[in-house]
Amino acid sequence: MSTGTRPPVRVGHEQLMALIDHTSAVIYMRDVDGHYLLVNREYERLFDLHREDIVGLTDHDLFDGPIADEFRANDLAAIARGIPLQVEEQAPGEDGMHTYVTVKFPLHDEAGHAYAICGISTDITARKRAEEEVRRLNDELELRVRQRTAELEASTRELDAFAYSVSHDLRAPLRSLEGFSQVLLEDYAGDLAEEAQGYLRRIQANTGRMAQMIDDLLHLSRATRSQLRRDRFDLSALAREVVAEIADPERSVTWNISDNMAAQGDPHLVRLVLQNLLGNAWKFTAHTPEPVITVSVHPQSGVDVFEVRDNGAGFDMKYADKMFDPFQRLHSAGEFEGTGIGLAIVHRVITRHGGRIVAEGTVGEGAAFRFSLTPAPADWELR
Amino acid sequence: MTERPILLVEDNPDDALLTVRAFTKNRIRNEIVVATDGEQALLRLLPAEGEALRPALILLDIKLPKIDGLEVLRRIRDDERTRNLPVVVLTTSNEERDVVTSYTLGANSFVRKPVVFEEFVAAVNALGVYWLIVNEPAPLG
Repeated sequence: MSTGTRPPVRVGHEQLMALIDHTSAVIYMRDVDGHYLLVNREYERLFDLHREDIVGLTDHDLFDGPIADEFRANDLAAIARGIPLQVEEQAPGEDGMHTYVTVKFPLHDEAGHAYAICGISTDITARKRAEEEVRRLNDELELRVRQRTAELEASTRELDAFAYSVSHDLRAPLRSLEGFSQVLLEDYAGDLAEEAQGYLRRIQANTGRMAQMIDDLLHLSRATRSQLRRDRFDLSALAREVVAEIADPERSVTWNISDNMAAQGDPHLVRLVLQNLLGNAWKFTAHTPEPVITVSVHPQSGVDVFEVRDNGAGFDMKYADKMFDPFQRLHSAGEFEGTGIGLAIVHRVITRHGGRIVAEGTVGEGAAFRFSLTPAPADWELR
Repeated sequence: MTERPILLVEDNPDDALLTVRAFTKNRIRNEIVVATDGEQALLRLLPAEGEALRPALILLDIKLPKIDGLEVLRRIRDDERTRNLPVVVLTTSNEERDVVTSYTLGANSFVRKPVVFEEFVAAVNALGVYWLIVNEPAPLG
């Protein structure tokens, strides 16, 4: 800054006062006994006092006891340490207590004795309040998360208890209906007209149907509440196991199951998906002359898309959205049996995996179900 | 074929009647003793005094009044007088935890009662053939 040609500027008390009067920090100097020697303009503004009125007073004259005590204690600590000390202090402001970060340091005479203490305080109230607000919001959020989790756990427990009760208590009366109908058919066949026996068989058929619905509902509830695992497994092998369960040798169906389809997900739950999709394919190809059911995989921009396709009865695309709702049926009970829960289970399992499913069909030509088992980007669309 | 009785622990009288019928239909003529709750079953198997029942087979429902089936099973396995008796859990549930707990507590088999009576008759036949004819029981202590 110095050019060498300008006359030297004398920096004295006035200049230094001008400097400390034009800062937003609060600056003051007290003697070792706590009497004010000097304050800056910001100090005057803050406490609405004139410097002439403050000089000679102590903090105990200006502030409440506990606040003044704390200032004094910090002064003494700075004097004792002999070097600058940084502390946080509280002082009253227009809108409640303000927080300052204060640097205090002693001034020493030639003999090395402290004769005064200087303080520079910066108001950090806004930052403090923001921090406090963040902490409060965090605490609130955490509390809310804990509450929601507890509520969810409670409702899962309830659902669990409900499903358990359903599996036990709703099936028992069905066994009686079915069993005693059978007893009547066996022991009283001679007393019952052919028509009466037919009605008993209808009762039996319906109890069987209701038992199937209860089981399907239990599967749906299990697909919802069981812990989701993420294992690597061979979907080809799983599909072949399911086919072995459902395929009746009396019907000839061509199964085209691709080899080595690797999948990532919960094998127990994906088994439910395949049981339902392959079970449907099997069911809806019952009236097809040369039934073909295909299971394959097609990677689509990094996501594995599995497909179960048949050439059976198919469906009208205008019902494609509705078919994943529970109890939604697209065929009459006389045409094809079913409880209308299977695809709801499929949908639930795939959703829990973070995957997607779409259905495609043409009446009389067949249906295809495509699904993924892994979360995909939001803009990813299953084709 | 053993002449020892079968203990059926079943609180639902309809189910008890149908189970007895299923045994009869399969020409299994062992006496069938019915206990209608867990407490009664334990009183028959582990009485404080008097003669204890030593059945050839115990068919045990899980959901029972007073003392449930899993607790009955636990006590049967805890007592050396009944430890080796074959216990088949015959119940409505196929909840995984019931299946797992039953085996953990030492059930010999777990059978879910089918709703269709003819299937139930077939299951009872299989149980009777296996546990009363094929299987060699532990000698009575």
